[in-house]
Amino acid sequence: MIGLDVVVQALLSGLFMGSVYALIAIGFTLVFGVTDIVNFAHGHLVMAAMFVTYFLFKTAHLDPYLSLVVVLPLFFGVGALLYVLVIQRIVEAPHSAHMMVTLGLLLVFENLANLFFGGDLRGITTKYTTSSFVMGPVAVPLARLGAAVVSLLAVAVLGVFLARTTLGKAIRASANNREGAALVGVNVPRVYLVSFSLGTMAAALAGAVIVPFSLVSPFVGHEFILKAFVIAVLGGLGSVPGALAGGLLIGFVEALSSLYISASLGNAIVFAILIAVLLYRPWGIFGQAKV
Amino acid sequence: MSALLAVRGVSKRFGGLQALSNVTFGVDHREIVGIIGPNGAGKTTLFNVITGVYAPDLGRVELRGMDVTGWAPHRICRLGAARTFQIGKPFAALSVLQTVRIGALNRIDSMAGATARALEVLELVGLAGKRDDLGRHLTVIERKRLELARALATGPALLLLDEVAAGLRPNEIQEMIALVRRIAAGGVSVLIIEHVLEAVMRLSARRGVPGRGLHACLKSRASRWRTATCACSTT
Amino acid sequence: MKGRLAVGVVALGVAAAVPLVAGQHLLTAFIVALHAAYMALAWNVAAGYAGQFSLGHSLFYGIGAYASTMLYLKLGLTPWVGMFAGAALAGVVGVLLALGVYRYNVRGIFFALVTLGAAEVAKGLADNWHWIKGPVGILLTMKAAPAEFFFLRREPYYYVALAMVVAMVAISLVLERSRLGQHFLAVREDEAAAEASGVDTHRAKTVAIGLSAALTAFAGSFYAQFYLYVSPETVLTFEPQLTMMLGTMVGGAGTALGPVLGSVLFSGLGEALRNLPFENTRQVVIGSKLVYAILLIVILIYLPGGLITLGRRRA
Repeated sequence: MIGLDVVVQALLSGLFMGSVYALIAIGFTLVFGVTDIVNFAHGHLVMAAMFVTYFLFKTAHLDPYLSLVVVLPLFFGVGALLYVLVIQRIVEAPHSAHMMVTLGLLLVFENLANLFFGGDLRGITTKYTTSSFVMGPVAVPLARLGAAVVSLLAVAVLGVFLARTTLGKAIRASANNREGAALVGVNVPRVYLVSFSLGTMAAALAGAVIVPFSLVSPFVGHEFILKAFVIAVLGGLGSVPGALAGGLLIGFVEALSSLYISASLGNAIVFAILIAVLLYRPWGIFGQAKV
Repeated sequence: MSALLAVRGVSKRFGGLQALSNVTFGVDHREIVGIIGPNGAGKTTLFNVITGVYAPDLGRVELRGMDVTGWAPHRICRLGAARTFQIGKPFAALSVLQTVRIGALNRIDSMAGATARALEVLELVGLAGKRDDLGRHLTVIERKRLELARALATGPALLLLDEVAAGLRPNEIQEMIALVRRIAAGGVSVLIIEHVLEAVMRLSARRGVPGRGLHACLKSRASRWRTATCACSTT
Repeated sequence: MKGRLAVGVVALGVAAAVPLVAGQHLLTAFIVALHAAYMALAWNVAAGYAGQFSLGHSLFYGIGAYASTMLYLKLGLTPWVGMFAGAALAGVVGVLLALGVYRYNVRGIFFALVTLGAAEVAKGLADNWHWIKGPVGILLTMKAAPAEFFFLRREPYYYVALAMVVAMVAISLVLERSRLGQHFLAVREDEAAAEASGVDTHRAKTVAIGLSAALTAFAGSFYAQFYLYVSPETVLTFEPQLTMMLGTMVGGAGTALGPVLGSVLFSGLGEALRNLPFENTRQVVIGSKLVYAILLIVILIYLPGGLITLGRRRA
């Protein structure tokens, strides 16, 4: 029998990782909601940011949280560059082309990373990598707590940005109705560019803050993109609040299922849920059907 | 003899919008029937209900004496009612001949036979010279003709034309009217919905029996309800 | 038409003569390329012709690999027959999947994600299924038993792979010229217009997935016999799916020769590089993959119909 303290500990770890997943999925779902593009390379953007953060720590001894000053603008730029060079040219193409081109980007990132850094798993040890403080029956790991707090903060900032600022409103308008937004004077191409860059930045932020307690290799992106799919679908593709809820849910499911069943079977269950949601509630379990 | 098409008390609602309210009318063999109404009057919804895209909330649709309410569109097409789409839906990456041949395969199993039939239909609608062009490269009138050819190739007893004149220039409308007449002369009944009044009126006026046969009430939002003007003729 | 036939015969003659001149290393590269071409063509039936962009074809590939292998190990059934059983099973699974998916009107990107999910579920189940040895996988013993689809040399495998590609090209060409194939195209282009033309789109899509699934399973069986090893990590991951998509999309989806062209270019060259004695093989292989990925993006942007359209434009 698994004790209550172990379950609580698992729930806590689910909450922490779920927050990070939520941020990754929000970047993914924002891009889809606005540009209608499913970005298969999204998980590999997380991976790329992890490598950048890793090397900033290794070479310049820059703490992962401090390195955000470099990583965030850098990846906003990477997103903008990707958009201008590639994504922009396929926005009007069918979904199959979206999927293939972003799969191509995935392969580019993966092989670039593999070419330069090799396929080994690498990690860093910061002062707080193994630190934790005890709270009642559970130990709270500091590095994971930090990652979760920063992720949730970023989600909140993004939420306020979308709700309050002119640009944010334009992004939401374009997601709802591209032609309509263009008619009322929204600069749709610019909105697309900004959305894609923001989505990339969200992935990068998540990548940077998990470096203190995660190993990075060119192949870790796959896990993140699969998570992002599942979460975004659970929350309703294109829905930011849905992705937040979905992220936390998947964090909990992952943590709890690891207690009771093997990871691969847990994965199968998660995808079975994904299929059920896609069949019965394609607008997501938290969303509402569009009439 | 029973009517070719009988629409009996059909209603259809989308959320808060009552698109069709108790619509009843019929089309006889060898008849051209026109339904006129402004945009939003429910004309296309009526077509969608007749051709099986939507099932009606209330009422029945009968085709050739069979109750086809709730049938899938392809079954209704097989039974003999073919429609065109208001916004021409050419198969973008297929050639004109391929597109029309797919229609012809509705009645003809062999590819050679279907190809021959498709070429005949293309000749009739005046697209024979464009047989190898891709759908996406066609002009508006060519798309309308292609739509017509695709529907006609399925070998319908009833052809439903959704705004075939909309978006066309006056001389093109003339050509389209002549074409529809030629098709009708071949023994196909035609149900035509249009907001270009002239097109419908001309089609019927020429036969000289306007005002007979059809009384379809198409109700639209709130107080704006219309009695569809009817224009029909017996060839 | 006659000219094309002549070109085909010559190409076939050249392909048949390859083992006479190629060493075992190079022959392996050719086998991998032909295998990839076959897989691509099988996926192309659903994705290229009928527009059903499945991301879960690894599932059918895996079914083929496991079915023929398990039937051989447990019942002693020769894989020559077992591969047909695998194809039948994959076909049934494909039809059931399609029926479920289309019943709920799942389309486009959602269809892609459902099929991707189905393959992931299958991998998770296979990892936990002890009867098929879970994540450890199943090793077959290398031996000379032609009646049981085992050969010591590369040449027989090469000819089997070549025959499979030729058969698959023939199937594609027959399909293109059939009523069913035309219905596939109509479904791909516009489902509403297809229905209005008398096409039973649900049936056409279900047949497309079932047929494509069954054909894909043969590739899985071939994989098992060629590499003599089947595991969830090798046949049920995204890797086989990627091979199918790369070849098809680069060469030209919805054509009978495009997927062959794309696959030979991608898989064949990659494998050839891997097998050539370069100083730094690892870097060369990764570098070539990188080049392909960039090539893929460039082709999809500037030649959305694939490389095959280059030839057509000139003709």
